[in-house]
Amino acid sequence: MTSIETPTENPTRPAIARVQGLKVHFASKKGPVHAVDGVDFDIADGEMLGLVGETGCGKSVTGRAFLGLIPQPPARIAGGRILFRPRRREDTSEDTPEFRPCPTCKGADIVCATCNGSGYDTLDLLAVKPRTMRAIRGRRIAMIFQDPGKALNPILTIGDQLAEVFLQHASADLLADIGGTGDMGGLAAGAVGRAARQESGRLDGILSRVPPVRGHLRRLRAALEDRIAAALAETQISNPRRVIRSYPHELSGGMRQRVMIAQALACDPDLIIADEPTTALDVTIQAKIMELIKMLQEKRKTSVLYISHDLSLVRRTCDRVVVMYAGRVAEVGGVREVFAAPRHPYTRGLLDAIPRSGETRGVLASIPGTVPELVSPPPGCRFADRCVHVMPECTRVNPTLQPLTPDQSVSCFLAHPPAPGAAHKEPELQET
Amino acid sequence: MQLRDYVIRRLILLPFLIIGVSIIVFSLTRIAGSPIGVYLSHEMSAAEVAQLEERFHLNDPLWTQYFYWVKGVFQGDFGWSGVASAAVADVFPAKLAATMELSLFSAFVAVVLGLWLGTFAGSRRNQWQDHVTRVVAVSGASLPLFWFGILLLIVFWANLGWFPVGRSDADIWASINHPTGFYIIDAILAGSLTALWDAIWHLILPALTLGFGAVAIITRMMRSALVEELQQDYVDAARAKGLPERLVLRRHARRNALVPTVTVIGLTLAFLMQGAIAAEIIFRWPGLGRWMASAVVRGDQATIMTYVLFTSVLFLLTNLIVDIIYAKLDPRVRLGD
Repeated sequence: MTSIETPTENPTRPAIARVQGLKVHFASKKGPVHAVDGVDFDIADGEMLGLVGETGCGKSVTGRAFLGLIPQPPARIAGGRILFRPRRREDTSEDTPEFRPCPTCKGADIVCATCNGSGYDTLDLLAVKPRTMRAIRGRRIAMIFQDPGKALNPILTIGDQLAEVFLQHASADLLADIGGTGDMGGLAAGAVGRAARQESGRLDGILSRVPPVRGHLRRLRAALEDRIAAALAETQISNPRRVIRSYPHELSGGMRQRVMIAQALACDPDLIIADEPTTALDVTIQAKIMELIKMLQEKRKTSVLYISHDLSLVRRTCDRVVVMYAGRVAEVGGVREVFAAPRHPYTRGLLDAIPRSGETRGVLASIPGTVPELVSPPPGCRFADRCVHVMPECTRVNPTLQPLTPDQSVSCFLAHPPAPGAAHKEPELQET
Repeated sequence: MQLRDYVIRRLILLPFLIIGVSIIVFSLTRIAGSPIGVYLSHEMSAAEVAQLEERFHLNDPLWTQYFYWVKGVFQGDFGWSGVASAAVADVFPAKLAATMELSLFSAFVAVVLGLWLGTFAGSRRNQWQDHVTRVVAVSGASLPLFWFGILLLIVFWANLGWFPVGRSDADIWASINHPTGFYIIDAILAGSLTALWDAIWHLILPALTLGFGAVAIITRMMRSALVEELQQDYVDAARAKGLPERLVLRRHARRNALVPTVTVIGLTLAFLMQGAIAAEIIFRWPGLGRWMASAVVRGDQATIMTYVLFTSVLFLLTNLIVDIIYAKLDPRVRLGD
């Protein structure tokens, strides 16, 4: 497995994840839809990376690919890799054999240049076994969903739903909280251990009524509730003990999203995929939720992939931004650079479309034309049809993502003219 | 509203509903004609007939007759069944036990099998297991019950001789006591394996006939509800927490899918009481259904009234239980609003 070298865009920070040539196709009656078609970007350790683009550009699919949450069929991962390097942590009991130590330092060196001291080799999230993916989900990579009203199970209490994260990933800690199972009898230790892992044995229903086991289980539940309450309190929810016993429909939208955030952060993940976390919320609450995510991200140095179509929120909160268009990356760079000097005509169009408070009246700017059909996409640049600077090469050759400065890359021939003879290469066919 | 308060309120309303039902049914049966028919014989003189009419208050206005009937019910007198040649109250318990044994057995199997098959098919959507289940379910829902029963009767009783008809072997039945009237329970209480086997052996064909349609409906409902729930965001959210697929299905998707399915189960159980009539006639099952069918044909109004009274109480209670389960399953349900 290739490791992540120092990313070209950002030499100072090593990457925690690297998406390489990701292609996701969806089966449709007209043929495969190339929803994500060769996407490359890095997420640096501890950064907040914005992933922007309009509806249907493949940004959500890209985010879900990290956690293997793309339904297959109808979707198919047609190529690429998502390399992820877990962070070093004390408790490695969750690690499966696929978590391999860093090949250079064998996991020993905390200043190792290859693994940035994490001690781990990279994992390809698209190729790991289901068991490894389960160990990653919630523990290493967590997700905040777009609509907390739909992402919370309506018939379970908030406490029940948060408990699952701890039961799946922190059962050892929970057992430690109640002083371990060492002094219990074999049967009792078995039953309590299973309860802490959200499993159930055949006789556990009866065992849980036997007095000593019942006492242990009660203490286990109390320990669990303490952890849940602490997780909720961290997202500034007032009266977490009451929220634990509430059902999702009894909470407001903002509260529900705080619960989702608490759930995502419960096991202190290395990376959070935030898929439009504020889109379903009131405008007044959006800013508060973003501030909360930003605050917690800075406090814990967690990496966040923030998927959004709201450029102003990205500008305010993110370190870098990836601009996607029709399944491809148009431009990548530091937020300041991209917003100050966009180099891709699409990015420029997007930024021009933001209404500014200074300018009164006038027509809202928009980009003429529509997103191309992604069933049999043209060989050239996806934006060629709508681009005012279109050149003959643009419709024949797909511009690849090239660095302009250490902080900004763009896939446009305006910024880096095609090499002579490039037209003969068919980038579409390279990986098929 | 608290669940307890709701149940109490519904229980208070129950008698009024039953009175309403009984008035309607009493009037409708009396429209069909005088109930005197089943009490008459050819040897009776006109004076004797008049005496009978006097005895059953048939010359009084309808509402007076109704009150005599209600008075009888409160005194445990449900009238004389011409079909059974006995007082309704004497025959009813044994027949009821026979029918309830058949219906409850079918219902239990139908609910367990239906929920299991529905989950099995729904979690394997559009795979071959789903298609096979669909064929079974669609046949179950579309084959007329009486036709399917006769088919089973021809194949497994008449041709192959694998299964008997009736409720029991007369000798084995006579060999044990029948404190409950439920043959399976009586056999277990008597500790007789022979009797238990006899009970189950007789029960299989009629229960299969009766339960097939119910299994089909529950399976289809459970499957479609589960397919819908599996597409919800909270299912992906549960996966994103690292839950194994087994728990995603059991704890999240299936529990939500049960909410609409429970309503259908309630309706299906009421439908079983109706289906029992055909199943009992086909397999000579000595239950309420067969008795009821003869009573309707021969105008045995005392039996009809008792049967309807009983089924309406049963239906109302089933509905109440469904509502309680519904509220238990889904915290969003506001009872009584």
